[in-house]
Amino acid sequence: MKKILRLALIDFKIIFRDPSLRVFLVLPVILFVLIVWLVPYLVAKYEFLVPYLSLMLVGAVIENTQMYSFISSMVLIDEKETNVAKTYGVVPLTKRQYILSRMLIPYLFTVALNVILFWVQPFFTIGWGTNLILSLLAGLVVPVYVLAINAIAENRMQGMVYVKAFNLLVLVPIVAFFVPDNFKHLFGIFPTHWVFQSVNNATLGLPFGWLAAIGFLFFGVLLWWVSKLFIRKHFV
Amino acid sequence: MIQVENLEFQYPGNDSPTLKGLNFEIDKGEVFGFLGPSGAGKSTTQKVLYKILNGYRGSVWIDGKDLSGWDNTYFGKIGVGFELPNHYLKLTGRENMDLFASFYPDGRKQKVEELFEMVDLQEALNKRVEAYSKGMKMRLNFIRAIQHNPDILFLDEPTAGLDPVNAHKIKQHILDLKAAGKTIFVTTHNMNTADEICDRVSFIVDGELKTTDSPQKLKSQYGKEAIRVELKDGRMEEFPLDKLGENTAFLTFIKQAEVKHIQTLEASLEEVFIQITGKSLVS
Ligand SMILES: Nc1ncnc2c1ncn2[C@@H]1O[C@H](COP(=O)(O)OP(=O)(O)OP(=O)(O)O)[C@@H](O)[C@H]1O
Ligand SMILES: [Mg+2]
Repeated sequence: MKKILRLALIDFKIIFRDPSLRVFLVLPVILFVLIVWLVPYLVAKYEFLVPYLSLMLVGAVIENTQMYSFISSMVLIDEKETNVAKTYGVVPLTKRQYILSRMLIPYLFTVALNVILFWVQPFFTIGWGTNLILSLLAGLVVPVYVLAINAIAENRMQGMVYVKAFNLLVLVPIVAFFVPDNFKHLFGIFPTHWVFQSVNNATLGLPFGWLAAIGFLFFGVLLWWVSKLFIRKHFV
Repeated sequence: MIQVENLEFQYPGNDSPTLKGLNFEIDKGEVFGFLGPSGAGKSTTQKVLYKILNGYRGSVWIDGKDLSGWDNTYFGKIGVGFELPNHYLKLTGRENMDLFASFYPDGRKQKVEELFEMVDLQEALNKRVEAYSKGMKMRLNFIRAIQHNPDILFLDEPTAGLDPVNAHKIKQHILDLKAAGKTIFVTTHNMNTADEICDRVSFIVDGELKTTDSPQKLKSQYGKEAIRVELKDGRMEEFPLDKLGENTAFLTFIKQAEVKHIQTLEASLEEVFIQITGKSLVS
């Protein structure tokens, strides 16, 4: 456990000492400003926006996951490019322990961001239990994203390209909100669809348990799979 | 300590094997070297032995136990000095060392300051690695490999990129580690390094071992155990090394005029390498 924490904390140092990564830490701040002040102001002014509130919240939830997805992807790509990753291949740390230690802080940090978001957003009443379930689910985007990027990108340049693609990919299931109801779950092939639908139902006071359950299951399987791909590649 | 039989390895995607049936063993407390040109398979062999590359054929025994049977405790037992510097550039030398020391159950065996001093890096202890030169980073590689006091060391080109003074220091440390009972496997394409520190060397070319023996034996086998004396008046003669001090012909000869030059006719390791493999070390 001690070694896992140690490695998790090292990441903070690496991020704070790298100006190109550090700037991304302000992203959530901007997002919070938008949700807490700008959106309420706009909604008060333009009433036609009201039906889109839950969609905006869905967008904010997913954008919260993107900061650490990007930062961690870059940290790991850098680690691979500078061959530091090889060193982890020859220390008494299992590959699963390595993944846990590298993903734990980004995951928990992202979960915390969303917990705060659901708490401070002024549009819906969301209970603590619901808040926590939704936040834990949405946070899973981070490890899946980061490990997938690192399992496919060969270098920093490719990494940047895949990051752009992934940023769009996670947003695709937004389209489900604009298609007839009986077609919307076609977007269920995208894992974030289940995050979006869970959040949406929760805001509308509808049951969301089964949506979230599918989400956890989907992300769990994906996480297991991308971890395998990642392990095969990262330490060589 | 290490036994390797018929080791074959092929990188996925390549159409021919990189290692074509290697046989060698390394005893406890021995410095064993792979000497060979670039691309011969030196690093690949080490990568198989430190379990970065899987899917080899043949058998590898470490301390009497099959390599594939070893779990993570194996990594506490070995230390790896990588061929190229690999550190977190944004962290200081000390932070890099501390991080990797933290993964070993018993941590570090020596003070970090002492380790840095060993390789003349004491000034750089708290500097970020991005401010290190290549040679400094290589020295950091070396102390990172030994900090947890491993029994077995894999050192891939430990003196590459170092100036002669620092190269000499590293070689001395390797000999000290050997004196402390460590088993050390080095690779090099530098015949001087091999000659100075290895108890035995294998010549490796194109994934095959051409011969394995002590540098001393190889040199005398392929050269003459004799000296050549040249006098200032231009005369030159050869005498066997055996009982040289009692050789009256030799003693009379060197009294005939001032001696200009005495040279042993032992082959250099590089000459032996070329004779045995038909290849040059620098390709
Ligand atoms: N990841 C890889 N994928 C495919 N082929 C590889 C890979 N790494 C090395 N090779 C090939 O395997 C052969 C041996 O490489 P290796 O790195 O073991 O050589 P070496 O003896 O260590 O050389 P050097 O002195 O340059 O370090 C080379 O022909 C190289 O092209
Ligand atoms: Mg090599």
